[in-house]
Amino acid sequence: MTCLTLVSAPLHAADLDVDKLLAQLPRPAPDSTSFVEVRYSSLLEKPIVVSGRLEHREDGSLVRRVEWPYQEVTVLQGENVSVERAGSKPRRFALDRAPELRGMLASFGAILQGDRQLLDRYFAVTAQGSESRWKVTLTPRNEKLKRHLTRVVVDGTGNRPKCFTLEEPDGDGSLMALGVAGSGDLPASLGRDVLHAWCADRDGP
Amino acid sequence: MTRARRGLLLVAWIATVAILGWIVDRHLVIGTDLRLFMPSPQTPQERLILEEIGEGPASRMLLLAISGPDPQAAADTSRALTAELRASGEFRLVANGESSLDAIPDSLLAYRYLLSPTLDRSSLDAGFLRAQLEERVRDLGSPAAGFMEPWLPRDPTLELLKLADSWLPARQPQLLYDVWFDSSGKEALLVAETRAAGFDPQGQRRTADALQRAFDASRTDGNLRLESSGPGAFSVLMQERTQGEAQWLGSVSVVGMVILLLVAYRSVPVLVLGLLPLVSAGVAGLAAVGMIFGTVHGITLGFGFTLIGVAQDYPIHLFSHQHRGIDARTSVRALWPTLATGVASTCVAYLAFLFSGVRGLAQLSVFTVTGLAVAGLTTRFLLPPLVPGSSRDAADSARLGRIWHAIAGLPRPLWLGVATATACVAYLALSPRPLWENDLAALTPVPPALLARDAVLRKEIGAPDVRHLLVIEDTDAESVLAKAANLDPKLAALVARGLLDGYDQPARYLPTRSVQQQRRAALPDPATLRAALSEAVATTPFKPGVFEPFLADVEHARQLPALGPSDLAGSPFETRVGSLLLDRGDHWTGLVTLAGVKDATALAQLAALVPGTTLLDLKQASEDLVARQRERILWCLAVSAVLLTVVVFVALRDASRVRRVLAPMALTTLVIVALFHAAGVSLSLFHLIALVLAAGLGLDYALFFERAAEDPAEQRRTLHAVIVCSMSTFLVFALLALSTLPVLRAIGITVAAGVVGNFVLALLLTRPVTGPTTDGR
Repeated sequence: MTCLTLVSAPLHAADLDVDKLLAQLPRPAPDSTSFVEVRYSSLLEKPIVVSGRLEHREDGSLVRRVEWPYQEVTVLQGENVSVERAGSKPRRFALDRAPELRGMLASFGAILQGDRQLLDRYFAVTAQGSESRWKVTLTPRNEKLKRHLTRVVVDGTGNRPKCFTLEEPDGDGSLMALGVAGSGDLPASLGRDVLHAWCADRDGP
Repeated sequence: MTRARRGLLLVAWIATVAILGWIVDRHLVIGTDLRLFMPSPQTPQERLILEEIGEGPASRMLLLAISGPDPQAAADTSRALTAELRASGEFRLVANGESSLDAIPDSLLAYRYLLSPTLDRSSLDAGFLRAQLEERVRDLGSPAAGFMEPWLPRDPTLELLKLADSWLPARQPQLLYDVWFDSSGKEALLVAETRAAGFDPQGQRRTADALQRAFDASRTDGNLRLESSGPGAFSVLMQERTQGEAQWLGSVSVVGMVILLLVAYRSVPVLVLGLLPLVSAGVAGLAAVGMIFGTVHGITLGFGFTLIGVAQDYPIHLFSHQHRGIDARTSVRALWPTLATGVASTCVAYLAFLFSGVRGLAQLSVFTVTGLAVAGLTTRFLLPPLVPGSSRDAADSARLGRIWHAIAGLPRPLWLGVATATACVAYLALSPRPLWENDLAALTPVPPALLARDAVLRKEIGAPDVRHLLVIEDTDAESVLAKAANLDPKLAALVARGLLDGYDQPARYLPTRSVQQQRRAALPDPATLRAALSEAVATTPFKPGVFEPFLADVEHARQLPALGPSDLAGSPFETRVGSLLLDRGDHWTGLVTLAGVKDATALAQLAALVPGTTLLDLKQASEDLVARQRERILWCLAVSAVLLTVVVFVALRDASRVRRVLAPMALTTLVIVALFHAAGVSLSLFHLIALVLAAGLGLDYALFFERAAEDPAEQRRTLHAVIVCSMSTFLVFALLALSTLPVLRAIGITVAAGVVGNFVLALLLTRPVTGPTTDGR
């Protein structure tokens, strides 16, 4: 598991003050950024790559809009998730059905809003690096979440998170690069360690 | 009789009553099924109605709402409560909107290909599989991936999810936090089907307790509130209110009675002795019911004690005739012919209910007749030796003398009685309004606010109507399911036309064996499926070989025998199917529950198209039953009225005396019925029972007045007795008339009015024909 060792290894020796780091992150809603997400599954021969926009609306909901290679809109509002794909009826479910999603959403929301309390509710938080280039590692606190999520690593530069990496216990996982316009910008190899290094090292979005 | 022998008699009497009471208490089972008070069914249609009134899923349905400031806490509690309720064993079905795939047992998983309609429209060929797999790749790239991924190797077409979705109500409430919520998003909604029948208040009470315990155990937030609504919840509520009020009014009237008796006789021993015949009557009545029926209904118990309260009058007559120089044993011999006539004729009146064809009323009849007979006999044979000699004589009372004098001066307006009776009969005969109340629910009406709330919840949840129900009957389960499946598209068309909000039917969960066999036949053999799957997988990013579990499941399904009702034991299907598909022994019944019926005629037409299908209108049907039952009771009463007249005639042997005795009672009954009708009160079975009670009282008053004709002192003693009797009875029933509950009020008003009417009319029409006497001493 080279990717795990790589991700968990501190980039810089010094631990950062998480509060201070989070304090500089909040961005006023509405906010929108492009993303590319790569998902690894043991069922698949090669990872799935989708790209689109991530919107943070004023009402607090998060919209994940897939624009390539197909159209799909996911709305995460409160505890509810709805996934609607062109040509089929929307699928709705609650976050309780998808604990890894809750973890992702909590980390996302908390990072985007600089909400330390929300982070602490679900995760043990550590931060490494410098204020200009940092890495926050989130380890689930409760057992239910642990069964579905090993950890979340967020890489960022200054006041911008760049890369959310989710690791699941079964070896599956995903990586979301923010501020990347399309899959054409990704490195040729979609190996996890390569991709993660690429994501963390590129200049801010 | 010596003092010692008197003591012995008293002890023996009390001991006998106590022992009998103890035995009764140990062996008597108190039933609460209200259907005991409904007529025994005579046609198949009636049998069906009575089965469904108490047993149908709609009558067992409880609608639950959890509300509080924090909807998420309500949702968490909804989930925890569902688990608690399922574990409590009091519920057949609990649903809160969660569709958990884990709820389906492993042994039934392979059946998904026989149960799901997918194979009716498509086949598991390469094209279908490719399209499905492409969708699954996208699912894996979506936030739904997490919970879907573990299922995919086994179920790439998501058959299980489709099944779970198809079992959800067609029009279900919105889901928040994965559970049902009302449209405002503030209240978590649940539906529970109780094991106890809807009209089994005792079972529903147990269920309500279990519900409260489960809620206390599962609430995550002290601010949360649980509401339950539905026939069962209402029956518990109404029973509590009735009991509470009856108890409260009962205590007040006992205090009133004690004060009244103390004022009348100024003696504690007399007060205590006066209770003995009544207590003996109650215990003997219960013992008789227990011996004949095994169980006694709660209503029989409550009503019965009200009815045998008349027995309190018997010792009063004895006590009021006590005076210096006469032994109670002597005076009782003089009173006995009159007392016995009263007891016998009242018993004859109550015998009518024995032949009413209603078990509950038959019990009531046995209880009352036994009780009154025992009270009469103990007053005659056991009580007199125990009554202490009295130095007081009611005839000495100057006030009574004055009253009697005034009464004697009253006119005897016989013509007025005839005129009143004629007017009443004419009024009742000519009035266009129905005289009777056929709606049983009108007697224990649920507060309108609760009914409105129930309607709101019912609409939010889309819960079935408690009034309409389609019933399918056939010789076997397969035929019933086939008919249900046949009805389904027709019902769907009604829903589409807006004539119906929704429906549920058993074939939705359990298709017929023949449909299952067709689907099974449509499953490809292993080699064909493997080839089609390989072809489909090749064009997707899925690894070859990940769908081996799917291949195994399909092959397993190809070997499965079609699922029947008996194969469902222990699975969540069992309860779902079990409440809609019932084995009645010699035939099977399928129920189609209906929600939001807007056009019953369309449903009736639809039912007419499928043989063996009936649209039940439970309200209409039960009203018809009640009307038929009442007709029979009225005939029985008419017969007993004739018998009663015969008894009185045998006792008095003089047509004019019989007329004077019966006139007040008959006239009072007529006037009360006419007044009720004029006041817009529809008469119910309970009014009828109360009228019989009032008539029995009136007969007693008249008999005693009639008897007292000769001796002026006796006249005053009789007046004393009747005043004490009527005042005590009036007190008890006037209190009952204050009740907020129509059942209690109906009985209270009827009997209180009957006491007044009978007393006044007995004075006017029955009092002795001899001239006024100024002094009897």
